Amino acid sequence: MRRCTLPFLFFLANIAFGQQSALDPAGPQAGRIRSLESLLFGISVVIFVGVIGTLAVALFRRRRGIQQEPLESTHRPSAQTERKLLVVVSSLSAVSLLILFALIVVSVVTGREISIKSLPRDSLVVEVTGNQWWWSVRYLDDNTQRIIVTANEIHIPTGRPVVIKGTSHDVIHSFWVPNLHGKRDLIPSRVNTEWIQADRPGRFRGQCAEFCGLQHAHMAFWVIAEPPAQFEAWRRQQLQPAAEPSDPVRLRGQQVFLNNACVLCHTIQGTTAAGQNGPDLTHFGSRQTIAAGTLPNTIGNLGGWITDPQTVKPGNHMPQVPLAPGDEQPLLAYLEGLK
Amino acid sequence: MTEARVLYVGHLPDQEVSNHGPLWFGQVLLCCIEGMMLCMLIAIYFYLRLGVDVWPPPGTQLPSTPVPTLALIPLLLSIVPTYIASAGAKRNSRVLMLAGLAGNLLFAAVFLGFRYLEWRSFNFTWQTDAHGTIVWSILFLHTFDLVADLVMTFVLLVIIAIGRYGPKQRTGVHVDSVVWYFLVAIWLPLYAVIYWGPHVVGAGR
Amino acid sequence: MNSSKTQFAELQQTDELEQTWKEPKGFLGSLAVVGHKEIGKRYIVTAFIFLLLGGLEALLMRLQLAFPENTFLDPGRYNQIFTTHGTTMMFLFAVPVMEGMGIYLVPLMVGTRNVAFPRLNAFGYWMYLAGGLFLYAGTFFHALPDAGWFAYPPLSGPQFSPGKGVDVWAQMITFTEVSALCVAVELIVTILRMRAPGMTLNRIPMFCWSMLVQSFMIIFAMPAVMIASSVMLLNDRTIGTHFVNPAEGGDPLLYQHIFWFFGHPEVYIIFLPALGMVSSMIETFSRRHLFGYPALVLALVANGFLAFGLWVHHMFATGLPQVGEAYFTAASMMIAITSGVQIFCWLATLCTGRLRTTTALHFVFGFIFIFVLGGLTGVMVASIPFDLQAHDTYFVVAHFHYVLIGGALFPLFGGFHYWFPKFTGRLMDERLGKCSFWILFVGFNLTFFPMHFLGLGGMPRRVYTYSAGMGWELPNLLATVGALTIAVGGIVFIANVMRSRRHGEIADPNPWEGASLEWEAASPPKSYNFPRLPAVDNLWPAWDDISKRTVIEGLSDDRREILITSLNAAEPHHRHTLPKPSIWPFVTTLGLGIGLTGSVIAFSWYYVAAALGAIGFIGWFWPRRPLEFTS
Repeated sequence: MRRCTLPFLFFLANIAFGQQSALDPAGPQAGRIRSLESLLFGISVVIFVGVIGTLAVALFRRRRGIQQEPLESTHRPSAQTERKLLVVVSSLSAVSLLILFALIVVSVVTGREISIKSLPRDSLVVEVTGNQWWWSVRYLDDNTQRIIVTANEIHIPTGRPVVIKGTSHDVIHSFWVPNLHGKRDLIPSRVNTEWIQADRPGRFRGQCAEFCGLQHAHMAFWVIAEPPAQFEAWRRQQLQPAAEPSDPVRLRGQQVFLNNACVLCHTIQGTTAAGQNGPDLTHFGSRQTIAAGTLPNTIGNLGGWITDPQTVKPGNHMPQVPLAPGDEQPLLAYLEGLK
Repeated sequence: MTEARVLYVGHLPDQEVSNHGPLWFGQVLLCCIEGMMLCMLIAIYFYLRLGVDVWPPPGTQLPSTPVPTLALIPLLLSIVPTYIASAGAKRNSRVLMLAGLAGNLLFAAVFLGFRYLEWRSFNFTWQTDAHGTIVWSILFLHTFDLVADLVMTFVLLVIIAIGRYGPKQRTGVHVDSVVWYFLVAIWLPLYAVIYWGPHVVGAGR
Repeated sequence: MNSSKTQFAELQQTDELEQTWKEPKGFLGSLAVVGHKEIGKRYIVTAFIFLLLGGLEALLMRLQLAFPENTFLDPGRYNQIFTTHGTTMMFLFAVPVMEGMGIYLVPLMVGTRNVAFPRLNAFGYWMYLAGGLFLYAGTFFHALPDAGWFAYPPLSGPQFSPGKGVDVWAQMITFTEVSALCVAVELIVTILRMRAPGMTLNRIPMFCWSMLVQSFMIIFAMPAVMIASSVMLLNDRTIGTHFVNPAEGGDPLLYQHIFWFFGHPEVYIIFLPALGMVSSMIETFSRRHLFGYPALVLALVANGFLAFGLWVHHMFATGLPQVGEAYFTAASMMIAITSGVQIFCWLATLCTGRLRTTTALHFVFGFIFIFVLGGLTGVMVASIPFDLQAHDTYFVVAHFHYVLIGGALFPLFGGFHYWFPKFTGRLMDERLGKCSFWILFVGFNLTFFPMHFLGLGGMPRRVYTYSAGMGWELPNLLATVGALTIAVGGIVFIANVMRSRRHGEIADPNPWEGASLEWEAASPPKSYNFPRLPAVDNLWPAWDDISKRTVIEGLSDDRREILITSLNAAEPHHRHTLPKPSIWPFVTTLGLGIGLTGSVIAFSWYYVAAALGAIGFIGWFWPRRPLEFTS
């Protein structure tokens, strides 16, 4: 390990404060797990150093020729040595048993603290459904008019617990935002519940953690934690149907969208597009990434994605829709205008 | 070499037909493997059952109990000729071996006849639902084991009948009986699970 | 003491033994071989070839991951490669190579002449070979599996994995598990009933104990994976059963339970034999009795039991009830105690022994270094809250490579250097050996240590690429450099093997002054292992004066007769004649192979497998003359 210390220090700093790092907690659960991890790590270092030290002693004795018992004839050290060893080995075993017992207790207590049973009241409920290879997100509300549907981006208010009800539409996925919490599998026909909370505003990246096929690598999403007021503003905006295009280019873009195969898979509230196979695009322009976190949401990236989705994300379920010449720019303008 | 450092074993029996031979051990271990597979299937049965409210799912007729219960009689009786065959193997009695093996085959054939009847009465297949899947899997695996052992029993019968046997083949007869006891014994819990299980744990949770 | 007359008599007798026990030659003869040394060597060589293949696959993956958004491999190819890598390493390398070592060494260590069921042994090897060829044949038929070595449904189900890749994977399991089960059965019976007289239970060498425990674990764990892969998964795919189909009352999690009921013990199945090897080497190279033999044996047995209690360890993120979680955390952590006790005993032995730092001992030291790290991260992932972060990330990749490469591969390489003179009659080159050790050791840590941080830094497993700007570039590049370093170490090792088997120093029967019986046989051992089977009266027979060895008289030399002893006390019980070479295990495998290959296409091929298999087995058991043995 010594050999590798330098480069490690170098990249450790890089990783530790990442946007997708369990080492940089931004919420109570991730924080508790981080403390537990520090404890485990500390104990591990002590034990490891002890073992390697003992190994070194074994080698060192030989090198320095420190007085050794003659073993040639009996192959057995003196009874006294053996007794000493017995005492040492059994006490070490007993100590490890105690350490492990303590760790079990700490671990179970931490598990209680982060479990759904510890959920404070007044929480926001978000339903997350895994799809090959994107995330559909619904903000539940008793008032069905106030349900928000979006994709690959979860806005949450800081300081307020958010319940995640996770399930899957096809294969098993796993919902994981390391800065906020550990992962929870999304399993078809089951609903797994957990809660997260962001203590500070920030953008936290999440990624599918259960192998789910060809594009498992490109199945990311962002959790955007905002102060409550900002979150409410976002929410009000999301509750609106899609913005009606005002200029002729966007109007043409809307026609392109509605007259092509796009509508078979995508929904845009306020239009006739009501497909359910792909992400809801009602407020597409307000999102920061496209193709489940694969690319930043810019007009250039979007153009590349629509004209040739299979190069950007090989194997994904979005087909290449042939567009008439001159249709592409209006379509992009329309989509980017869906704020 | 001096006499003191020699352990003489020439007086020991060679090729014992008993529960001490390696083959007997090996066969018991094979039974453990097969038993483990069937136990896994029982575990799966109850796991699947706990996953739904009504068992078997609506539309599936309960497996009827009279025929399989009746079928237990020839199956349990088949232990007697099996025992006779293995006793014959130990005593090197050709008549006992022949009678035992033939009796074993006969009773087993009756049992399989019953099994065929009960299968025909099922109104579900392995494709119907999870209940059908697990019931048919258990039945298929157990029947496969039965038939495999009966083929072996038949081959042994032929070998003994044509007189081409020695201690190895007699060990074979003895060990064959071990497998048969196992297959009979393991059927009892399987029978209980398949035919009585739905009656006991069938209704809502 | 030995007059020329008795010497002549002995020569005549060994001549006769050679006639009785020699293995057939030629192409057809090689298909009929039943000798444990030949078959053990075949297992080891075949497994090392698969190790090479698996290693190449690992290199390809590392090349793809060296840079973010790399396009060296497309996602489909990458998924096939990581699936095949895992499958190869688990089923075609790690388990078989340990079996091979056991098959070769156990009969020598317990002082007999072959395993209990030589033809079953041959059959096991052929099944293993067939399974390996079957999987890799998929390369040529666009039928490589790509759903991971664990093949979780629904991803591996008919809807999301069309094509034959997953079916091939599932049936490959059948081949290799039948093979492992065969070896387990014969090793258990060999160890329990064929030990040298006087080798009571508390005089069984540690390696044999580890093989015994491992074999029992195989018997109870492997049936589960056969149920999971060839009953549940394959039937759901081919004949429309509903084990894992939630729409019809099935459950995808059921598959995970059954798979991990096998999958967790599998880890111990792989590394328990390695622990046995470590014990053997430490004893020899410390030149003192192993400290704490009873504790070591008990730890092995406890390991075997505990391993079955913690399969849920792999399913912490699936959302199981909390009560169960507490239990599984406790069980997962407790297994660290059994490993800890073994480490302590070894350290005690090393500290009070007089070390001879051979290449093999280097590998043992490397093992302790790496395995302790892997064990500690094992304790960490046993803690559920921590595991929720680490699960399915590169942290776990690092953890189990530390445990499996450190815990199994390093001891195996050490054991290979240690027993190489027994296998070939020549010593491996020590300088090249140490050189390969250091390259492997540095390369290994360079590859896998950064992965701990990658995992905690958020990088999931099984991704074919990753985005730039996540802080993952450097560790990934380091890991790739490390993987190339490992490859260099592997090449040095292979070069050493190639060179040493022809030009290495000639070894006498006991070049390391080892304590167990295999060191009393010639190097390499004769076909009959020992001219006269030995009897023992302690745990370290080869450390006694060999000229005072008690030997067994009264076994026939003109047929393959061995001695069966009692289970506990190893007292002579009866004589037993082992079968001669036979072509039937090969023929049976051929028949079963045809049928099982077909079963990937249609269920009805099972009946072909059954019919051809039955023909094979009947040929196998058909009585050969002479029928009666008279003495």
